[in-house]
Amino acid sequence: MHKRLALAALACLLMAPLTGALAAQDLLTFRLECNNGVFKPQKLQVPAGKKFKIEIFNTGTEAIEFESLQLRKEKALNPGGHSFVVIFPLDAGEYKFFDDFHIQTGQGSIIAK
Amino acid sequence: MQNFSQILFVMWRETVEAMLVVGILHAWLSHNPDGKPGLKYLWLGVITGLGGAFLLGLGIDALNSVLSDEGQEYFQAALMLVAAGLIVQMVFWMRSHGQRLKRDLEQSLDHSTRQQNWWGVFSLAAIAITREGSEAVLFLSSLATGSNGFGSSSFWLALGLGVALAWGTFYLLQLGGKLISWRAFFKGTEIMLLLLGCALLINGVERLIGIQTLPALLSQVWDSSALLDDGTIFGGVVSSFTGYRARPSLMVLLVFCAYWGGVQWISRPARKQAAL
Repeated sequence: MHKRLALAALACLLMAPLTGALAAQDLLTFRLECNNGVFKPQKLQVPAGKKFKIEIFNTGTEAIEFESLQLRKEKALNPGGHSFVVIFPLDAGEYKFFDDFHIQTGQGSIIAK
Repeated sequence: MQNFSQILFVMWRETVEAMLVVGILHAWLSHNPDGKPGLKYLWLGVITGLGGAFLLGLGIDALNSVLSDEGQEYFQAALMLVAAGLIVQMVFWMRSHGQRLKRDLEQSLDHSTRQQNWWGVFSLAAIAITREGSEAVLFLSSLATGSNGFGSSSFWLALGLGVALAWGTFYLLQLGGKLISWRAFFKGTEIMLLLLGCALLINGVERLIGIQTLPALLSQVWDSSALLDDGTIFGGVVSSFTGYRARPSLMVLLVFCAYWGGVQWISRPARKQAAL
Protein backbone atom coordinates (compact mmCIF):
# COMPACT_ATOMS: atom_id res chain seq x y z
CA MET A 1 0.00 0.00 0.00
CA HIS A 2 2.67 2.43 1.05
CA LYS A 3 4.77 1.34 -1.86
CA ARG A 4 1.97 2.13 -4.30
CA LEU A 5 1.43 5.50 -2.72
CA ALA A 6 5.11 6.27 -3.01
CA LEU A 7 5.09 5.15 -6.65
CA ALA A 8 2.12 7.38 -7.42
CA ALA A 9 3.83 10.32 -5.74
CA LEU A 10 6.99 9.62 -7.74
CA ALA A 11 4.99 9.47 -10.98
CA CYS A 12 3.37 12.82 -10.19
CA LEU A 13 6.77 14.32 -9.47
CA LEU A 14 8.13 13.04 -12.77
CA MET A 15 5.10 14.24 -14.72
CA ALA A 16 5.07 17.72 -13.20
CA PRO A 17 7.81 19.10 -15.46
CA LEU A 18 6.00 17.72 -18.52
CA THR A 19 2.75 19.49 -17.69
CA GLY A 20 4.81 22.63 -17.26
CA ALA A 21 5.91 22.26 -20.89
CA LEU A 22 2.29 22.15 -22.05
CA ALA A 23 1.40 25.26 -20.07
CA ALA A 24 4.33 27.11 -21.63
CA GLN A 25 2.95 26.67 -25.16
CA ASP A 26 0.89 29.85 -25.44
CA LEU A 27 3.33 32.23 -23.78
CA LEU A 28 4.63 35.48 -25.19
CA THR A 29 7.57 34.18 -27.20
CA PHE A 30 10.77 35.72 -28.52
CA ARG A 31 13.16 34.15 -30.95
CA LEU A 32 16.87 34.25 -30.38
CA GLU A 33 19.38 32.80 -32.82
CA CYS A 34 22.97 32.09 -32.07
CA ASN A 35 25.38 31.47 -34.91
CA ASN A 36 28.87 30.45 -33.72
CA GLY A 37 28.83 32.97 -30.93
CA VAL A 38 26.88 35.79 -32.60
CA PHE A 39 23.42 36.46 -31.21
CA LYS A 40 20.57 37.66 -33.41
CA PRO A 41 19.07 39.95 -32.23
CA GLN A 42 21.75 41.20 -29.88
CA LYS A 43 19.22 43.22 -27.93
CA LEU A 44 15.90 41.62 -27.14
CA GLN A 45 13.12 44.07 -26.26
CA VAL A 46 10.58 42.60 -23.85
CA PRO A 47 7.77 44.08 -21.76
CA ALA A 48 8.59 44.49 -18.07
CA GLY A 49 6.45 42.64 -15.55
CA LYS A 50 5.36 39.90 -17.93
CA LYS A 51 6.31 36.25 -18.07
CA PHE A 52 7.76 35.28 -21.42
CA LYS A 53 9.63 32.59 -23.27
CA ILE A 54 12.80 32.80 -25.33
CA GLU A 55 13.19 30.19 -28.02
CA ILE A 56 16.86 29.65 -28.66
CA PHE A 57 18.07 28.26 -31.98
CA ASN A 58 21.64 27.26 -32.54
CA THR A 59 22.03 28.09 -36.24
CA GLY A 60 25.81 27.73 -36.23
CA THR A 61 28.15 24.79 -36.67
CA GLU A 62 29.52 24.83 -33.12
CA ALA A 63 27.91 24.06 -29.77
CA ILE A 64 26.72 27.04 -27.74
CA GLU A 65 25.77 27.65 -24.16
CA PHE A 66 23.27 30.42 -23.61
CA GLU A 67 23.92 31.74 -20.14
CA SER A 68 22.75 34.63 -18.03
CA LEU A 69 23.79 35.07 -14.43
CA GLN A 70 21.26 37.83 -13.90
CA LEU A 71 18.42 35.72 -15.27
CA ARG A 72 19.80 32.57 -13.65
CA LYS A 73 19.61 30.60 -16.88
CA GLU A 74 21.98 28.24 -18.61
CA LYS A 75 21.20 26.20 -21.69
CA ALA A 76 23.66 24.21 -23.76
CA LEU A 77 22.76 23.41 -27.37
CA ASN A 78 24.28 21.30 -30.11
CA PRO A 79 24.62 22.71 -33.65
CA GLY A 80 21.11 22.76 -35.11
CA GLY A 81 19.58 22.27 -31.69
CA HIS A 82 16.87 24.41 -30.21
CA SER A 83 15.22 24.77 -26.85
CA PHE A 84 13.58 27.43 -24.79
CA VAL A 85 13.85 29.15 -21.45
CA VAL A 86 10.95 30.65 -19.54
CA ILE A 87 11.69 33.98 -17.90
CA PHE A 88 9.49 35.11 -15.08
CA PRO A 89 8.35 38.77 -14.90
CA LEU A 90 11.32 41.14 -14.93
CA ASP A 91 11.65 44.62 -13.50
CA ALA A 92 12.46 47.26 -16.11
CA GLY A 93 16.14 47.25 -16.93
CA GLU A 94 18.87 45.60 -18.95
CA TYR A 95 19.78 41.96 -18.39
CA LYS A 96 22.93 40.60 -19.97
CA PHE A 97 23.35 37.16 -21.48
CA PHE A 98 26.26 35.50 -23.22
CA ASP A 99 27.40 32.39 -25.04
CA ASP A 100 29.66 30.61 -22.61
CA PHE A 101 31.37 28.71 -25.42
CA HIS A 102 32.10 31.95 -27.36
CA ILE A 103 32.44 34.46 -24.58
CA GLN A 104 34.47 37.00 -26.59
CA THR A 105 31.86 37.55 -29.31
CA GLY A 106 28.71 36.09 -27.84
CA GLN A 107 27.29 38.96 -25.81
CA GLY A 108 23.74 40.24 -25.78
CA SER A 109 21.07 41.62 -23.53
CA ILE A 110 17.39 41.65 -22.79
CA ILE A 111 15.86 45.06 -22.35
CA ALA A 112 12.71 45.05 -20.28
CA LYS A 113 10.54 48.18 -20.60
CA MET B 1 36.41 28.41 -35.88
CA GLN B 2 36.94 28.96 -32.22
CA ASN B 3 40.38 30.29 -31.45
CA PHE B 4 42.96 28.82 -29.14
CA SER B 5 42.25 30.96 -26.07
CA GLN B 6 38.54 30.25 -26.42
CA ILE B 7 39.05 26.50 -26.49
CA LEU B 8 41.57 26.71 -23.66
CA PHE B 9 39.15 28.68 -21.51
CA VAL B 10 36.17 26.41 -22.11
CA MET B 11 38.15 23.24 -21.42
CA TRP B 12 39.70 24.77 -18.33
CA ARG B 13 36.31 25.84 -17.01
CA GLU B 14 34.75 22.45 -17.66
CA THR B 15 37.49 20.36 -16.10
CA VAL B 16 38.98 22.32 -13.24
CA GLU B 17 36.06 22.16 -10.84
CA ALA B 18 35.67 18.39 -11.06
CA MET B 19 39.43 17.86 -10.91
CA LEU B 20 39.71 20.03 -7.81
CA VAL B 21 37.25 17.77 -6.04
CA VAL B 22 38.85 14.56 -7.30
CA GLY B 23 42.40 15.84 -6.73
CA ILE B 24 41.76 16.96 -3.16
CA LEU B 25 40.00 13.70 -2.28
CA HIS B 26 42.84 11.70 -3.81
CA ALA B 27 45.54 13.65 -1.98
CA TRP B 28 43.66 13.24 1.26
CA LEU B 29 42.88 9.53 0.88
CA SER B 30 46.43 8.62 -0.07
CA HIS B 31 47.90 10.73 2.72
CA ASN B 32 45.94 8.92 5.43
CA PRO B 33 47.03 5.33 6.01
CA ASP B 34 43.47 4.08 6.36
CA GLY B 35 42.14 6.21 3.55
CA LYS B 36 43.61 3.72 1.06
CA PRO B 37 40.46 1.57 0.68
CA GLY B 38 38.59 4.77 -0.22
CA LEU B 39 40.75 5.29 -3.35
CA LYS B 40 38.91 2.44 -5.04
CA TYR B 41 35.59 4.21 -4.46
CA LEU B 42 37.05 7.47 -5.73
CA TRP B 43 38.14 5.94 -9.06
CA LEU B 44 34.84 4.09 -9.33
CA GLY B 45 33.14 7.47 -8.91
CA VAL B 46 35.39 8.99 -11.60
CA ILE B 47 34.50 6.22 -14.08
CA THR B 48 30.79 6.48 -13.27
CA GLY B 49 31.03 10.26 -13.67
CA LEU B 50 32.67 9.91 -17.09
CA GLY B 51 29.88 7.56 -18.15
CA GLY B 52 27.30 10.05 -16.88
CA ALA B 53 29.05 12.92 -18.67
CA PHE B 54 28.95 11.09 -22.01
CA LEU B 55 25.30 10.15 -21.55
CA LEU B 56 24.29 13.70 -20.62
CA GLY B 57 26.56 15.44 -23.13
CA LEU B 58 25.55 13.33 -26.10
CA GLY B 59 21.93 13.07 -25.03
CA ILE B 60 21.43 16.80 -24.50
CA ASP B 61 19.08 17.13 -27.49
CA ALA B 62 16.97 14.23 -26.24
CA LEU B 63 16.93 15.72 -22.75
CA ASN B 64 15.94 19.14 -24.15
CA SER B 65 12.99 17.60 -25.98
CA VAL B 66 11.81 15.26 -23.21
CA LEU B 67 12.10 17.52 -20.18
CA SER B 68 10.47 20.92 -19.99
CA ASP B 69 12.50 23.97 -19.07
CA GLU B 70 11.36 23.62 -15.47
CA GLY B 71 12.19 19.93 -15.50
CA GLN B 72 15.74 20.61 -16.63
CA GLU B 73 16.13 23.36 -14.07
CA TYR B 74 14.94 20.99 -11.32
CA PHE B 75 17.37 18.37 -12.53
CA GLN B 76 20.35 20.76 -12.62
CA ALA B 77 19.38 22.34 -9.31
CA ALA B 78 19.10 18.90 -7.69
CA LEU B 79 22.58 17.92 -8.94
CA MET B 80 24.06 21.16 -7.59
CA LEU B 81 22.35 21.01 -4.22
CA VAL B 82 23.31 17.37 -3.68
CA ALA B 83 26.91 18.16 -4.69
CA ALA B 84 26.99 21.14 -2.30
CA GLY B 85 25.67 18.97 0.54
CA LEU B 86 28.19 16.22 -0.20
CA ILE B 87 31.08 18.70 -0.27
CA VAL B 88 30.20 20.14 3.13
CA GLN B 89 29.70 16.67 4.58
CA MET B 90 33.06 15.62 3.10
CA VAL B 91 34.90 18.59 4.61
CA PHE B 92 33.58 17.82 8.07
CA TRP B 93 34.16 14.12 7.68
CA MET B 94 37.80 14.75 6.75
CA ARG B 95 38.15 17.18 9.61
CA SER B 96 36.72 14.85 12.25
CA HIS B 97 38.65 11.96 10.78
CA GLY B 98 41.88 13.91 11.06
CA GLN B 99 41.20 14.66 14.68
CA ARG B 100 40.18 11.11 15.46
CA LEU B 101 43.38 9.92 13.86
CA LYS B 102 45.37 12.14 16.18
CA ARG B 103 43.47 10.92 19.22
CA ASP B 104 43.77 7.33 18.07
CA LEU B 105 47.50 7.62 18.19
CA GLU B 106 47.29 8.95 21.71
CA GLN B 107 44.57 6.68 23.04
CA SER B 108 44.91 3.73 20.63
CA LEU B 109 41.18 3.48 19.96
CA ASP B 110 39.82 0.55 18.05
CA HIS B 111 40.06 1.10 14.29
CA SER B 112 36.73 -0.53 13.59
CA THR B 113 34.80 2.19 15.42
CA ARG B 114 35.93 4.65 12.78
CA GLN B 115 33.13 5.89 10.62
CA GLN B 116 33.68 5.51 6.90
CA ASN B 117 32.32 7.64 4.14
CA TRP B 118 33.31 5.76 1.00
CA TRP B 119 29.93 6.10 -0.71
CA GLY B 120 30.10 9.83 -0.10
CA VAL B 121 33.49 9.87 -1.84
CA PHE B 122 32.02 7.87 -4.72
CA SER B 123 28.92 10.06 -5.18
CA LEU B 124 30.80 13.34 -4.94
CA ALA B 125 33.33 12.32 -7.60
CA ALA B 126 30.58 10.92 -9.84
CA ILE B 127 28.36 14.01 -9.63
CA ALA B 128 31.21 16.49 -10.03
CA ILE B 129 32.45 14.77 -13.19
CA THR B 130 28.99 14.19 -14.66
CA ARG B 131 27.97 17.81 -14.22
CA GLU B 132 31.08 19.46 -15.59
CA GLY B 133 32.11 16.72 -17.97
CA SER B 134 28.80 16.70 -19.84
CA GLU B 135 29.49 20.22 -21.09
CA ALA B 136 33.01 19.30 -22.12
CA VAL B 137 31.57 16.30 -24.01
CA LEU B 138 29.00 18.52 -25.74
CA PHE B 139 31.68 21.03 -26.68
CA LEU B 140 33.99 18.31 -27.98
CA SER B 141 31.28 16.45 -29.85
CA SER B 142 30.22 19.60 -31.68
CA LEU B 143 33.82 20.12 -32.80
CA ALA B 144 33.96 16.51 -34.00
CA THR B 145 30.66 16.71 -35.89
CA GLY B 146 31.77 19.87 -37.74
CA SER B 147 32.80 19.85 -41.39
CA ASN B 148 36.12 18.17 -40.69
CA GLY B 149 34.79 15.59 -38.24
CA PHE B 150 37.42 13.84 -36.20
CA GLY B 151 40.01 15.28 -38.58
CA SER B 152 39.31 18.77 -37.26
CA SER B 153 42.35 20.19 -35.56
CA SER B 154 40.30 22.08 -32.99
CA PHE B 155 38.73 18.84 -31.79
CA TRP B 156 42.11 17.29 -31.08
CA LEU B 157 43.40 20.55 -29.65
CA ALA B 158 40.42 20.77 -27.28
CA LEU B 159 40.67 17.11 -26.32
CA GLY B 160 44.40 17.39 -25.71
CA LEU B 161 44.00 20.57 -23.70
CA GLY B 162 41.16 19.07 -21.69
CA VAL B 163 43.20 16.01 -20.75
CA ALA B 164 46.31 18.09 -20.04
CA LEU B 165 44.42 20.59 -17.87
CA ALA B 166 42.58 17.88 -15.95
CA TRP B 167 45.78 15.95 -15.36
CA GLY B 168 47.71 19.14 -14.54
CA THR B 169 45.19 20.21 -11.90
CA PHE B 170 45.23 16.74 -10.41
CA TYR B 171 49.05 16.53 -10.47
CA LEU B 172 49.49 19.99 -8.90
CA LEU B 173 47.19 19.00 -6.05
CA GLN B 174 49.11 15.78 -5.42
CA LEU B 175 52.36 17.74 -5.54
CA GLY B 176 50.92 20.42 -3.25
CA GLY B 177 50.00 17.75 -0.71
CA LYS B 178 53.64 16.66 -0.61
CA LEU B 179 55.53 19.96 -0.95
CA ILE B 180 53.74 22.28 1.45
CA SER B 181 53.02 21.19 4.99
CA TRP B 182 50.06 18.86 5.22
CA ARG B 183 48.33 21.13 7.70
CA ALA B 184 48.53 24.15 5.37
CA PHE B 185 47.49 22.06 2.37
CA PHE B 186 44.56 20.64 4.26
CA LYS B 187 43.45 24.06 5.50
CA GLY B 188 43.77 25.58 2.02
CA THR B 189 41.89 22.83 0.22
CA GLU B 190 39.23 22.83 2.90
CA ILE B 191 38.54 26.51 2.23
CA MET B 192 38.49 25.83 -1.53
CA LEU B 193 35.95 23.05 -1.05
CA LEU B 194 33.74 25.15 1.22
CA LEU B 195 33.78 28.01 -1.31
CA LEU B 196 32.91 25.59 -4.09
CA GLY B 197 30.09 24.16 -1.98
CA CYS B 198 28.78 27.71 -1.47
CA ALA B 199 28.96 28.43 -5.22
CA LEU B 200 27.01 25.25 -6.01
CA LEU B 201 24.40 26.02 -3.36
CA ILE B 202 23.90 29.59 -4.65
CA ASN B 203 23.68 28.36 -8.24
CA GLY B 204 21.13 25.69 -7.29
CA VAL B 205 19.06 28.17 -5.29
CA GLU B 206 19.11 30.67 -8.17
CA ARG B 207 17.79 28.04 -10.54
CA LEU B 208 14.91 27.38 -8.18
CA ILE B 209 14.29 31.14 -8.00
CA GLY B 210 14.41 31.25 -11.81
CA ILE B 211 11.47 28.85 -12.04
CA GLN B 212 9.73 30.47 -9.08
CA THR B 213 9.98 27.46 -6.79
CA LEU B 214 11.68 29.79 -4.32
CA PRO B 215 10.85 33.49 -4.00
CA ALA B 216 13.62 36.02 -4.70
CA LEU B 217 12.15 38.17 -1.86
CA LEU B 218 13.91 41.24 -3.24
CA SER B 219 15.33 40.88 -6.71
CA GLN B 220 18.40 43.05 -6.14
CA VAL B 221 19.78 44.09 -2.79
CA TRP B 222 22.78 45.94 -4.21
CA ASP B 223 24.75 46.30 -7.40
CA SER B 224 28.49 45.83 -7.03
CA SER B 225 29.13 45.27 -10.74
CA ALA B 226 31.26 48.43 -10.81
CA LEU B 227 33.64 46.71 -8.37
CA LEU B 228 33.51 43.22 -9.85
CA ASP B 229 31.12 42.44 -12.68
CA ASP B 230 30.10 38.77 -12.69
CA GLY B 231 29.28 39.08 -16.39
CA THR B 232 32.95 39.40 -17.38
CA ILE B 233 35.31 36.47 -17.87
CA PHE B 234 37.19 37.03 -14.62
CA GLY B 235 34.06 37.89 -12.63
CA GLY B 236 32.33 34.83 -14.04
CA VAL B 237 35.14 32.57 -12.84
CA VAL B 238 35.08 34.17 -9.39
CA SER B 239 31.31 33.73 -9.20
CA SER B 240 31.40 30.09 -10.24
CA PHE B 241 34.03 29.25 -7.61
CA THR B 242 32.76 31.30 -4.68
CA GLY B 243 29.08 32.04 -5.26
CA TYR B 244 29.81 35.76 -5.68
CA ARG B 245 26.98 37.77 -7.26
CA ALA B 246 27.20 41.39 -8.34
CA ARG B 247 23.43 41.82 -8.00
CA PRO B 248 22.35 39.36 -5.32
CA SER B 249 18.70 38.83 -4.50
CA LEU B 250 17.66 38.85 -0.86
CA MET B 251 17.05 35.09 -0.99
CA VAL B 252 20.57 34.46 -2.28
CA LEU B 253 21.99 36.71 0.40
CA LEU B 254 20.08 34.88 3.14
CA VAL B 255 21.16 31.48 1.83
CA PHE B 256 24.76 32.71 1.61
CA CYS B 257 24.68 33.90 5.25
CA ALA B 258 22.93 30.73 6.40
CA TYR B 259 25.58 28.61 4.67
CA TRP B 260 28.57 30.30 6.29
CA GLY B 261 26.72 30.59 9.59
CA GLY B 262 25.97 26.88 9.40
CA VAL B 263 29.59 26.05 8.60
CA GLN B 264 30.73 28.09 11.61
CA TRP B 265 28.14 26.44 13.79
CA ILE B 266 29.12 22.88 12.83
CA SER B 267 32.78 23.80 13.28
CA ARG B 268 32.23 24.85 16.88
CA PRO B 269 32.01 21.46 18.63
CA ALA B 270 34.93 20.20 16.55
CA ARG B 271 37.10 22.99 17.90
CA LYS B 272 36.15 22.12 21.46
CA GLN B 273 37.11 18.53 20.82
CA ALA B 274 40.44 19.59 19.45
CA ALA B 275 41.09 21.57 22.60
CA LEU B 276 40.54 18.53 24.78
